Amino acid sequence: MIIPFYHVLILASLLFGMGLACVVAWRTNVIMMLIGIEIMLNSVMLTFVEGSARWGIADGQLFALMLIALTSAEVSLALAMVVYLHRRKQSVNTDDYGSMNG
Amino acid sequence: MTLYLALMLLFPLLGGTVSALAGRKLPRRLVEAGVCAAVWASFVCAVLAAASYRGPVSVEFGRWLSAFDLQAPIHLYLDPLSLSLSVMICFVCGLIHVYSVYYMADQADYARFFALLNLFVFAMLTLILAENLPLLYLGWEGVGLCSYLLVGFWYTDSNNATAGRKAFITTRIGDTALLVGIAWLFQLFGTFSIPQINGMGFLLPHGIVTAIGILFLVGAMGKSAQVPLMVWLPDAMAGPTPVSAMIHAATMVTAGVYLLSRMFPFIGGSAVTCAAIAITGGITAFYGATCALAQRDLKKVLAFSTISQIGYMMLGVGAGAITAATFHLLVHAFFKALLFLGAGCVITAMHHEQDIYKMGGLKDRLPLTFWPFLAGAACLAGIPLTGGFFSKDSILAAVFLKEGTLYTSLYLLALLTALLTSYYSFRLIYLVFFGSQVHVHTHGELKVMQWVLVPLALLGLFGGVLDLPGYLGGGFLDSFFGHQAGGEVGHSAAQEVALQGVAATLAIFGLLAAHWRYGGKSRVDRVRESSTRPSPLYAFLLNGWYFDRLYHAILIRPYEYLSGILWEKVDEGVIDDSLDGMSSGLGITGRWLGRWSTGKVSLYILSFAAGGAVVLGYLAWLTL
Amino acid sequence: MEAILFYILSAVTLIGTLCAITARQAVRAIVYLVTSFFSLALIFYLLGAPLVAAFEVIIYAGAIMVLFMFVIMMLDLGHPEKLTFPKIRDWWPAVLLLAVIAGSILILAVSREPATAPGFTAITVREFSQALFKRYGVAVEIISMQLLFALVGALYLGRRR
Repeated sequence: MIIPFYHVLILASLLFGMGLACVVAWRTNVIMMLIGIEIMLNSVMLTFVEGSARWGIADGQLFALMLIALTSAEVSLALAMVVYLHRRKQSVNTDDYGSMNG
Repeated sequence: MTLYLALMLLFPLLGGTVSALAGRKLPRRLVEAGVCAAVWASFVCAVLAAASYRGPVSVEFGRWLSAFDLQAPIHLYLDPLSLSLSVMICFVCGLIHVYSVYYMADQADYARFFALLNLFVFAMLTLILAENLPLLYLGWEGVGLCSYLLVGFWYTDSNNATAGRKAFITTRIGDTALLVGIAWLFQLFGTFSIPQINGMGFLLPHGIVTAIGILFLVGAMGKSAQVPLMVWLPDAMAGPTPVSAMIHAATMVTAGVYLLSRMFPFIGGSAVTCAAIAITGGITAFYGATCALAQRDLKKVLAFSTISQIGYMMLGVGAGAITAATFHLLVHAFFKALLFLGAGCVITAMHHEQDIYKMGGLKDRLPLTFWPFLAGAACLAGIPLTGGFFSKDSILAAVFLKEGTLYTSLYLLALLTALLTSYYSFRLIYLVFFGSQVHVHTHGELKVMQWVLVPLALLGLFGGVLDLPGYLGGGFLDSFFGHQAGGEVGHSAAQEVALQGVAATLAIFGLLAAHWRYGGKSRVDRVRESSTRPSPLYAFLLNGWYFDRLYHAILIRPYEYLSGILWEKVDEGVIDDSLDGMSSGLGITGRWLGRWSTGKVSLYILSFAAGGAVVLGYLAWLTL
Repeated sequence: MEAILFYILSAVTLIGTLCAITARQAVRAIVYLVTSFFSLALIFYLLGAPLVAAFEVIIYAGAIMVLFMFVIMMLDLGHPEKLTFPKIRDWWPAVLLLAVIAGSILILAVSREPATAPGFTAITVREFSQALFKRYGVAVEIISMQLLFALVGALYLGRRR
């Protein structure tokens, strides 16, 4: 395997930045925000796996696996919440949910 | 002896505590009998102690203050000075307690009154018998506190409460000086014991002795109402008359004289201090006498005469005549208590009227008051062969025999004062007891009150035998105090007789002047004059040389002005406003920042991401 | 060979993701994302993590994305004309953040590159499993409990009132 370490990191950072951009830009659609979060989590997983490969330790892959498990829990809850909110406000626009206004 | 000393202190303490705690629950007669019994039991102890007295006794009962090398045990010391004073105090206070039972018969708040009287006796005896300065100071403050509470006894009237506060605050100035002096002595000697300090005074430089002596003098000025701290005593007459008799005439105000006498072996080492004491005494004596000339209020005449007489005692101390000062102190206690108690009888009979111009003709209506009162006035005036004559003369003689212009002029001032004293004493007698009849009301209580006056009158009249001059066989006090310090110069019998002749002439001259001005027909003119507007000199004397106004102008007004500035400008203007400004600034900032929390998730995410980006960018910039 | 494959897969991943985040319809975004995740799974495989690659395909590209699809269909968001595409105003902070973060990480990654790359060692499934169930047994338990809680939470939020 002759891929330089930092090439993978660059890929991961680009993915992370795209995910973040998605979250920031898609304020009108909460589902797209969740997708952006998934993209960011994937980039983190990529970093873990790369680290695991580089130092030859299984822990990175383990954490990637745990991230998958965590993400599934997160997504299921988040989507349930989206359903709930949509049922109340008939909208997926986050700007419509203003009850945290200080 | 130990037992007597302990009981002498414990009886009044017990009586005071019990009547303070349980006085309202107990029957009135029981409380009254109890407090009187406590003081008379104290008197019995004092007499027994006197009977078994063989020489100075020092008794330690226990530890009180003890920290590192600071030791102030409960340690009593009995020597001729404290012994004679404690016998006198127990006796006079005992009589006044009996008198108070009848004087205060219609007062509902008897428990508080008698508790305070008893506690006062306790505090005064502590002051007298203390061996060390902190214990003395405890008694000193104790009498001050009781005085404050008793002056303001009828506290519902704001004037009385103000008078109490005035007394307390004015004496506090002196107390502070005394406390500084005590602390200084401890710093110098490492001990509080009065006999030890007295024995070591010669070790100190002259200047330090003078400074400490002046501090003690200021303390005595406050307590003994000497110029310039005398303004509280006339106002203190707002208290019940027995209180005036007991505290503000006979006992407490002499504490300053006692303190200086007690410390005299120490402070007498400085001629400057002695001169300062003598000057203070002389000026105070003159001041009190002049003010007493013009007063209309019966009790205030007596109050100013007290100031004047204590001035004499201070003069005696300043002249080094401790024996003479103590002699006058004892005799003065008898006749001044007598005069105040007599005044109490008059005031009771006159339905609490205190203006002497509205009195008259009481000679026939209250003979039992008149004759003892006359005896008291004669003592005060120094009419020959009364106790007051001998005691005052011994002071005058001591001052005369001191060398120097200062003491000579003080002697002349004191003679002038003696003339004035005689004059105002008989002015009082003529105005109150002679002239036309007024309505009086007598009742059973007044009878008993009048009988209390008789033993005091006898003691005042014949108090002279305590210390007869040398040519009449020598004095008892003189030999009793013989070993006490005090540079009394021996003098010949001829000199003595001559001096007494001068004093007697002046006293009688004063009597005649008073008779000419206030006796017989001219009394009516004086009474008529009194309703007109007083002349400037008269008003000047009536208002106590305007000292109150002077203090108001130079002390109280600037202080109020300063307080006003500190309150309105500094406290409200600087401290409050800056805090208000800070809080409102924080509030505005908070509200402004609060607009950030819009409740929109997108803004939060953007802020969060921006923060992360800044951190990352900073790290990257560091790496570059 | 592997390197070329990696760069191709990287390009696919990036393009897929870019299309996903700029898609006008959520359903299309999901499809692009599935593509992207497939190529990412292959990258995992190339990096010697076959198990993670398999889970990526099964759980991510399979389960989670299908869950998204379900929700989109359930909420009836299939009408693109109802959804407003982000305006330019919304995009520029996103792009700026992307640039800053990607740029920063790039700088950090490049500057910290060690002089010599250590040897690459593949991690076997046995090694992986032993580490998972021996050293991280507790973590597995905690994750399982967390899944249970998520399940309960989702049921609570989703029940009809």
